[in-house]
Amino acid sequence: MILYVDLNMDQISEGYVILITGLFIVFSSLVTLSLLFKYGIPFMLYIYKIITKRKDKKIKDIALEVDEDFTGEVVAAISTAIHMYLNEQHDKENPILTIKQAKKSYSPWSSKIYGTHNRL
Amino acid sequence: MKKLFIIFGIISFLFVIKPMLGLNKSTDIFIDDNSVSTEQVDTSKGEGVYEGAFDGLKQFYNYTGFANATGGNLIMILIGIIFIYLGIKYDYEPLLLIPIGAGVMIGNIPFVAGNQTGIYEAGSVLNYLYFGVVKGIYPPLIFLGIGAMTDFSSLIANPKLMLLGAAAQIGVFATFLGALYLGFNLPEAGAIGIIGGADGPTAIFLSSKLANGINILPDGTTVKNLIGPIAIAAYSYMALVPVIQPPIMRLLISKEDRKIRMKPPRAVSQKEKMIFPIAALLLTTFISPSALPLLGMLFFGNLLKESGRTERLADTARTKLIDIVTILLGVTVGASTQADIFITKDSLLIFGLGAISFVIATMGGLLFAKLMNLFLKGDNKINPLIGAAGVSAVPDSARVVHAEALKSDPHNYLLMHAMAPNVSGVIGSAIAAGIILSFLG
Repeated sequence: MILYVDLNMDQISEGYVILITGLFIVFSSLVTLSLLFKYGIPFMLYIYKIITKRKDKKIKDIALEVDEDFTGEVVAAISTAIHMYLNEQHDKENPILTIKQAKKSYSPWSSKIYGTHNRL
Repeated sequence: MKKLFIIFGIISFLFVIKPMLGLNKSTDIFIDDNSVSTEQVDTSKGEGVYEGAFDGLKQFYNYTGFANATGGNLIMILIGIIFIYLGIKYDYEPLLLIPIGAGVMIGNIPFVAGNQTGIYEAGSVLNYLYFGVVKGIYPPLIFLGIGAMTDFSSLIANPKLMLLGAAAQIGVFATFLGALYLGFNLPEAGAIGIIGGADGPTAIFLSSKLANGINILPDGTTVKNLIGPIAIAAYSYMALVPVIQPPIMRLLISKEDRKIRMKPPRAVSQKEKMIFPIAALLLTTFISPSALPLLGMLFFGNLLKESGRTERLADTARTKLIDIVTILLGVTVGASTQADIFITKDSLLIFGLGAISFVIATMGGLLFAKLMNLFLKGDNKINPLIGAAGVSAVPDSARVVHAEALKSDPHNYLLMHAMAPNVSGVIGSAIAAGIILSFLG
């Protein structure tokens, strides 16, 4: 019984260790990721622009331009409009609807049966 | 066609009539009173036939579900039917609940052991399909599809929302401790805790590694097989997100806070979207390599989507592939709830802990969002409701947040903002799973 309790207490103290380290690691990794995207990526894109532009151009001429008015909501509205346009084109379908007879292609699997009632 | 029917009809008629002819013969002689000697012989023969037939029927009956049914089987079949009903009637994650419900019924049809029928019998077909669950093959494939579906742009536009995904992981670790206090040993508790991550594939992945009924603990005992209860708990609470979360939101977030409007996220360039999966893959897996199967596939799927060159692969991953794996996963996880293994005290405890962990995770996200608001000014303030989306359950919890915000302000559309903590919750719970695995695996 004592052994069991000891074991249990050990487990719980280890549990706390895992709790603290685990939360710390989860937080720190997501913080790092968010910092990377907040500061790292814009910087990298900026460097990329400098590299790809001609050297004689001044840095301030190629500063990152962020269009404040062009937000994600505008993108969503445009893409919804396109999506609806592409998906609701049924009104413009070819109006000629006829039933075409499909020719049966020969198949060895049904050849015997085919032979007995082939009188279309 | 007519001829075919006639031929088929004659053949089947002959088959039906054949035993009857045989029987007729013996009864004819049985009725015939002229020769006594033949009569006696034939009576015994006739009785033998009847007896044999009766024995056969009895044996057949012993093999049927009616003879082997136990109360547990019937309860589980009823639960399966309830799952299907919930999926159809209330539209609670029908793509999961209907396969799982059908699986629960399949797994609980009573049978005679030893004929390679049941999911836990080596060599049975169901056992082979279940292999993908036990070895953790299906979850990474699901993650591949999720990656190819997910648009991370709202997260890239507003990286600080990633913290909300981390905050909700407090539910994982709190449940882990709770399970330890209830007397589960470390690996089992770790697997139970991940229910709070609200991510079915992650829960199955971790429980298949930790609580699979195969691993041996340091003190010599074998861990329990908890994959079934954990997966069922995770998926059923995911389906119940629209029921569980709104009351907690209303309890913790004041009316004024619920009305906060967030400024629209900026447009994200294609380059940033391409860099995201690569950078996130490298960073997160270097931190938590044990989560590699999940995170690797997640970001690989996202790269397929965003690279712009592999639309075919991305398309397969997010439609056909994920559908196939979902079917197999749903049915086998459902079937793994065979009554004699599933109906235990542990399963009940797991269900209780799962509910608590969901509540804690939601509260963690909401409270952390409020905390963040203390440091943010002006129109940078976030609506604390989106914290609740930090418990992954993509995209249901984001939808719930959206609906809840619309109730207090009919023009406040939070869906895009809520997707950011939602997807970071997926990343967060996969990292948490990796950490638990590296400690206890």
